[in-house]
Amino acid sequence: MDKLIAQYTRSSHQNEFYSEQEQHDLTESHPPLSLKFSLPPIDDSRAFLRAMTDDHSNPSCPIKLAHGTTTLAFRFQGGIIVATDSRATAGNWIASQTVKKVIPVSRLSRGEDKPTDAPTPGLLGTMAGGAADCQYWLRYLSQQCTLHEIRHKRRITVAAASKILANLTYGYKGYGLSMGTMLAGMTPQEGPALYYIDSDGTRLPGNLFCVGSGQTFAYGVLDANYRYDLSEEEALELGRRSILAAMHRDAYSGGFINLYHVKEEGWVHHGFNDMNPIFWKTKLEKGEFSNVTSEL
Amino acid sequence: MADRYSFSLTTFSPSGKLVQIEYALNAVNSGVTALGIKATNGIVLATEKKSSSPLIDPPSLSKISLITPDIGMVYAGMGPDYRVLVDKARKVSHTGYKRIYNEYPPTRILVQDVARVVQEATQSGGVRPYGVSLLIAGWDEGVEPDSGDVQQIDEDGEPKKATGKTGGIMKGGPSLYQVDPSGSYYPWKATAIGKHATSAKTFLEKRYTEGLELEDAIHIALLTLKETIEGEMNGDTIEIGIVGPPADHLLGYEGVECSQGPRFRKLTKEEIEDYLTNL
Amino acid sequence: MSSPFDINGGACVAMVGKDCVAIACDLRLGMQALTVSNNFPKLFNFGPSTFLGLTGLATDVSTVSDLFRYKVNMYRLREERNIAPQTLANLVSSSLYEKRFGPFFVSPVVAGVNYTTGKPFICGFDSIGCIDFAKDFIVSGTASEQLFGTCEGLWEPDMSPDDLFETISQALLSAVDRDALSGWGAQVYIIEKDKVTKRLLKGRQD
Repeated sequence: MDKLIAQYTRSSHQNEFYSEQEQHDLTESHPPLSLKFSLPPIDDSRAFLRAMTDDHSNPSCPIKLAHGTTTLAFRFQGGIIVATDSRATAGNWIASQTVKKVIPVSRLSRGEDKPTDAPTPGLLGTMAGGAADCQYWLRYLSQQCTLHEIRHKRRITVAAASKILANLTYGYKGYGLSMGTMLAGMTPQEGPALYYIDSDGTRLPGNLFCVGSGQTFAYGVLDANYRYDLSEEEALELGRRSILAAMHRDAYSGGFINLYHVKEEGWVHHGFNDMNPIFWKTKLEKGEFSNVTSEL
Repeated sequence: MADRYSFSLTTFSPSGKLVQIEYALNAVNSGVTALGIKATNGIVLATEKKSSSPLIDPPSLSKISLITPDIGMVYAGMGPDYRVLVDKARKVSHTGYKRIYNEYPPTRILVQDVARVVQEATQSGGVRPYGVSLLIAGWDEGVEPDSGDVQQIDEDGEPKKATGKTGGIMKGGPSLYQVDPSGSYYPWKATAIGKHATSAKTFLEKRYTEGLELEDAIHIALLTLKETIEGEMNGDTIEIGIVGPPADHLLGYEGVECSQGPRFRKLTKEEIEDYLTNL
Repeated sequence: MSSPFDINGGACVAMVGKDCVAIACDLRLGMQALTVSNNFPKLFNFGPSTFLGLTGLATDVSTVSDLFRYKVNMYRLREERNIAPQTLANLVSSSLYEKRFGPFFVSPVVAGVNYTTGKPFICGFDSIGCIDFAKDFIVSGTASEQLFGTCEGLWEPDMSPDDLFETISQALLSAVDRDALSGWGAQVYIIEKDKVTKRLLKGRQD
């Protein structure tokens, strides 16, 4: 009898609060997924992983990860420009020239990159550092954003999305994750919003970021010509030109220029174009890159 | 340091002569005569093997030496000095050339290297000049491509009349040099050094003709030697070295492509005696 | 610290054709990822139809090329003739081995047509002078692995000078496009017995 009563009886406040499980899910910085990552069976697996994967402090580390990139994003009066190169390197080996380093992070556009002129709603994330880390965790972020949208009936803010990612990378700090990413998006609450998040756990809002091995070259061009009141056309050209400069001088950047424009209604893709014709056009028509000899 | 207080023994006389070098030349001019004749297809070096006693075992004596497979040398003057120079010439042909370029030096380069050694003895502290003059004979392959039309083959299938190679690094062919105690060197068509050098040279001037072939040159060499020799002429008392066609039989193996026998070789006692009977 | 061979980057390749040889190099000079110069040729002339290619540490490329300019000039004065490719190869080998216990960080390539025999000649070396004689092609530099691939795929025996130019150019450009540390343009020499043709290739500038 007691058993039956218990089955049909509830405590009076049971549904007014998050369950313990829900509370745990919302506050835990490690996602439940983390249990599925096998770690090296060693006392201090963090130190071990750092020694094995950090090729900055230890160039002969046995686990080589794909590195080398130039990505940039900046806010201006017409929204946000996001531009990247497309090269993936493993050491000095060019593993690919056609990597897509801008990753759409949103429920509606996930998994497709439609060649339409109509803006696609959602966030954009950029990829620098370990390719696998970026791809995996931006997809994870995408999933979290979608869940957020379903739970709250409205799109997630860039601030919130960037915080999910930053908490995540902070949680894995020291395990050898390698990513430097920018999140760009426009929400009614925030307007155009741009955040930088990296694998150290850093999370910074800002107007202008360049990330990757070619960041200095991109900053050089970008800083010199940046104004907030740039026209849309000028802003796109500045993004393209900054990436071009980085591709030219940085050995680990190159390939194709990938250009995006984030506006109020969503993002618009402005092409994935081989840098080589653009370079020679820039040199011959505008007289720039005079360091390059074109005659014998 | 001993050499700090050792001064050059070869010093100028007030009249500008280096008398030590003149004394060295005197030693050469009292030495046994040696001669060399250049032919179109080779060179002959010849000298008398003089022994002070009939008890000396002749085969152990050797005055004509191989320096590189294509270069040979003979001397007039002091035997021990010559032996030292042969060692140095062989050594410098390797350290100064073969170990660098993996090929033997051209004749002129070797002559220059030997001449440097000889010259250094006239200017260094604590040493005396070498008491020898040398005749160095060698064959160079040459750099210029073979024109191919000059060569004539006789009935034995042997290349008879030589190529257009008349000596030197560019054209290739035979060259004959004399090196003196002063370190100076001269190229010759035919010459002699030693006690009877003057009379031998007079004889050679009469007998030498352009377009001489090796066999003729050996003949003339023996005739010249006969003029000046003091004792009997036979296979034991005469030494002959020739620069001629590659002596592949001296390689000790056969059937290996691109390997060529030495062009310089000494004639055996029997070969010399054959020539002498035909004299 | 990365290997001294990989600091500045660069690639070189030589190929044999019918009565001709070709030698080509890229033009990049970098400091790790940073490209410093787009005009740093790695081919040096040592007499008519004799060339030396040098990849590796740029300071050693300059030093070694100067050293051989001196040595070959002295050879020419002493012997009153030009150095043959084979002789240059042996000179390079013995000179590099002299520095056995403190080598120059270079990987040289020799290419030329022998004046006497008219035969084409190529060879490569490690940094302490071991000679690699080859009948087909020689590769060196940071893109050497890629060059092995492209050369194995494109080379065939007895190519005419024009075909050889096409082949070596494609081989080099394709290889350096897969190497982060070389590229930025290229130079090609086609060497025949009494003619040398120099060409500049515009490569990708990334």
